[in-house]
Amino acid sequence: MLSARAVTKRYGSTLALNGATFDLDAGRVLAVVGANGAGKSTLIKSIVGLMRFDGQILVDGIDVARDGRGARRRIGYLAQNPAFHQDLSVRETAIFYARLRGAPEEAAREAVEHVGLGEHAEKLVGALSGGMRQRLGLAVAQLGDPALYVLDEPGTGLDVAARLELRDFIRAQRARGKSVLLSTHWLEDVPATADEVLVLDRGRVTFHGPSADFVVSNAVRSRLFLRLNGHTDDAIPLIQHAAGHEVARSGEWISVTCPTDGKTKVFETLLENGIVILDFRVEEATTASTDGTGGQS
Amino acid sequence: MTATMAIFGKELRDAVRSRWLVAFALTFALVALALAVVQEQGSVGAQGFNRTTASLINLCLLLVPLLALILGASAIAGERDRGTLGTLLSQPLSSADLLIGKYLGLTVAVWAAVVLGFGAAGLLVALVSPVTDFGHYLLFVVLSGALASAMLSIGMLISVLSEGRSKALAIAVLTWFALVLFYNLVAIGFALSVASSGEMLLVSTLLNPVETVRILAVLSLEPDLHVLGPLGAYLYVEFGPALSAVILGVALLAWAGVPLTAAAAIFRKQDA
Repeated sequence: MLSARAVTKRYGSTLALNGATFDLDAGRVLAVVGANGAGKSTLIKSIVGLMRFDGQILVDGIDVARDGRGARRRIGYLAQNPAFHQDLSVRETAIFYARLRGAPEEAAREAVEHVGLGEHAEKLVGALSGGMRQRLGLAVAQLGDPALYVLDEPGTGLDVAARLELRDFIRAQRARGKSVLLSTHWLEDVPATADEVLVLDRGRVTFHGPSADFVVSNAVRSRLFLRLNGHTDDAIPLIQHAAGHEVARSGEWISVTCPTDGKTKVFETLLENGIVILDFRVEEATTASTDGTGGQS
Repeated sequence: MTATMAIFGKELRDAVRSRWLVAFALTFALVALALAVVQEQGSVGAQGFNRTTASLINLCLLLVPLLALILGASAIAGERDRGTLGTLLSQPLSSADLLIGKYLGLTVAVWAAVVLGFGAAGLLVALVSPVTDFGHYLLFVVLSGALASAMLSIGMLISVLSEGRSKALAIAVLTWFALVLFYNLVAIGFALSVASSGEMLLVSTLLNPVETVRILAVLSLEPDLHVLGPLGAYLYVEFGPALSAVILGVALLAWAGVPLTAAAAIFRKQDA
């Protein structure tokens, strides 16, 4: 579905991408990870045709540099901070982009409903929160039923619930045989969403392989997502005091990052204090290091 | 083509929503009407349209280029400022599709504003003055639209070359000053002192779409050598009115096409 060969991009004397080469098959999810400035966004913008580059990128066999329009017809792109015309409503925006993509207006309405913006359809884009704009970006990316989704830091600005929905969206696309390439600096996202990992370091691909090989080094960590019975404010200091875990609140959810063997302590602390857990989700975390057994460096 | 039409439709809708174009059309209509009424009071005989048209030449040569340059300069640079350029170009359309869609949308919008403004005034003038020179009036509306098309094309080139909207607008206003206010002095001075020749006068005329339209308008109304000015007078004497009109018309078409083509070529090579 996606093939990159020796993709190189220079900004003056700075080499932002240095010969990136990889393939992504249909129905697979590839996470591109790396620090800020590693070249993730440059790679993604090159795939989408927003940047000129040396080398070759093929999307479904179509050369991005030669037939950008044809390649982009097969790509659903979500930018890190999606920007839309602020004076258009959500509905007008979706219809406008549906026209650009040659999709029927009905598809625009369905996409808006699908991302949960149906009741905000008449709201102006300028009045949307960052998370809602991200949802609108996801709706636009779905128009025309693209075969490849390219998502640049899709979790940015989303609350916990929206992040979980995003993961469900990615899994659903994979189940439909679509390919997904996403960039992230949340390493915890990798095992939860990706089949493969591509690590970029200062423009170079330092690892590409199955996410199973992208394993923990010496800091095994998990992340718990918890929805409690209205005692969230009480729970946060309790968890922090009990085990010194990192706790963050996002809407009605809290996330707790802790050593893998410290998960039970969190549950014990909450139950001992009479706090009922309405819902929870656990994700195993990784670090950027790999075991070097399955990937190509 | 679908994508170009979508961009075209959006530009047109934005223009309809925009207060600028409505204000422009109203201003033109009101000023045209005021000029017609004033001149009707002082006129002898039925020559309302001809007098109104002649009086509107200078107003048109000031306002139409300014409006078109500003709209053109905002077209791409504004999207760049808002961050929407990347969103647009990540869709299945080429940079040329975007540029042409915007140009066509803005051109139709400005033509509509010019036609509405002058049209409304023309109807009112016809009520107070017997119609004798309606053809000239219509020709002048067409010339105004053609001038807008040329200046939009230059504005689009400015827009593509500018990093942001404020920079593009500054360059557009400077361009307007240069073409509308200072050009004649500089061009004539250069043609007569540095490279004193008829060819230089001709080139000087064709290098400015505002001057091109001014001479075309005067040629169609009253080919008086004093009114034509030195550049127009040279053309008139050298080529006659018909050939001069053809040369100027071709130059105007080139002004509408060449900057836009250059903008498309540059835009295609830029990173979004």
